[in-house]
Amino acid sequence: MEILACPMCKGDLELSIEEEEEEEKEKGEVVKGSLYCRKCDLRYPIEEGIPNLLPPELRQKSE
Amino acid sequence: MDDEKIKREVRAGYAKIAKEGSSCCAPVSSCCGSTHLAEDISKRIGYSEEELKAVPEGANLVLGCGNPVALASIKEGETVLDLGSGAGFDCFLAADRVGTEGRIIGVDMTSEMLAKARENAEKGNYDNVEFRLGEIENLPLADNSVDVVISNCVINLSPNKARVFKEAFRVLKPGGRLMISDIVLLKELPDFIKDSVEAYVGCLSGAIMKEEYLKLMAEAGFPDIRIMDETSFPIEYIANDPTAKAILEDLEMPIEKAKEVAGSVTSIKVRGVKPE
Repeated sequence: MEILACPMCKGDLELSIEEEEEEEKEKGEVVKGSLYCRKCDLRYPIEEGIPNLLPPELRQKSE
Repeated sequence: MDDEKIKREVRAGYAKIAKEGSSCCAPVSSCCGSTHLAEDISKRIGYSEEELKAVPEGANLVLGCGNPVALASIKEGETVLDLGSGAGFDCFLAADRVGTEGRIIGVDMTSEMLAKARENAEKGNYDNVEFRLGEIENLPLADNSVDVVISNCVINLSPNKARVFKEAFRVLKPGGRLMISDIVLLKELPDFIKDSVEAYVGCLSGAIMKEEYLKLMAEAGFPDIRIMDETSFPIEYIANDPTAKAILEDLEMPIEKAKEVAGSVTSIKVRGVKPE
């Protein structure tokens, strides 16, 4: 987590957790949640345990 | 082809490979799904039998050109970043080397590939491997945060290679090393191949001249770049490789032309170190 950064400004990200995996709680594996960059005001979703840190314009095209 | 179109096509191509479990480099080929063939090709590109057995089944999609040199250099406790990690094959091999104190981060822009990688990580109980959906041109990592950047036959797919090298340089710690394996050209490819989407996704038309590739690396800040290994593709490889075959058929390319193309392409393993 400490080496994660916003792909745009390379600044720090804030984690918010919606769901954590029970048996992996001590590892802190986040299944669903998001990462927020205050500087860019961008929110990056975490789904199925994988943070989506694609730049916003590329993310939209994939959906 | 413009950059946006290239990115879309590459993602779509590899998403398809992830879903169908095809074992080769191009989305057009559906002929080589068998695990045995995947293993065969893997051995040819330099992975040992032990390495192939060590990773969960399904992780080895054989989309790379082999990166055993980079893997061999990885030490216990290191943080390793894999650019274009796909289904996670190299990540899992690296994970065994760094041990519990180290960590591996795989970045890939295809969510279907990452879903597979995560599944494989669970199957193999790899606690020190994590995957992120991201672009290698815009790495979601802090400056000076990793010891080694590895990449196996991926950078050729990027429409902005200069930026990929700059990003790799940025995230490396001082003294950290970039160890990549990729396809480069010794001669320019004919136009009809350059314009082919299939050949692009199949790691061919995105490749650039070797000198240009090394120049971009140097411009990113790597002072002394060493080519560790260079392997050309003999025509037999082209003739027996399902990916190459599919591309040839798609382009209706005669064998003479294919020979010419084969002679223009080479696979290199390169190493660069970020100054202390």
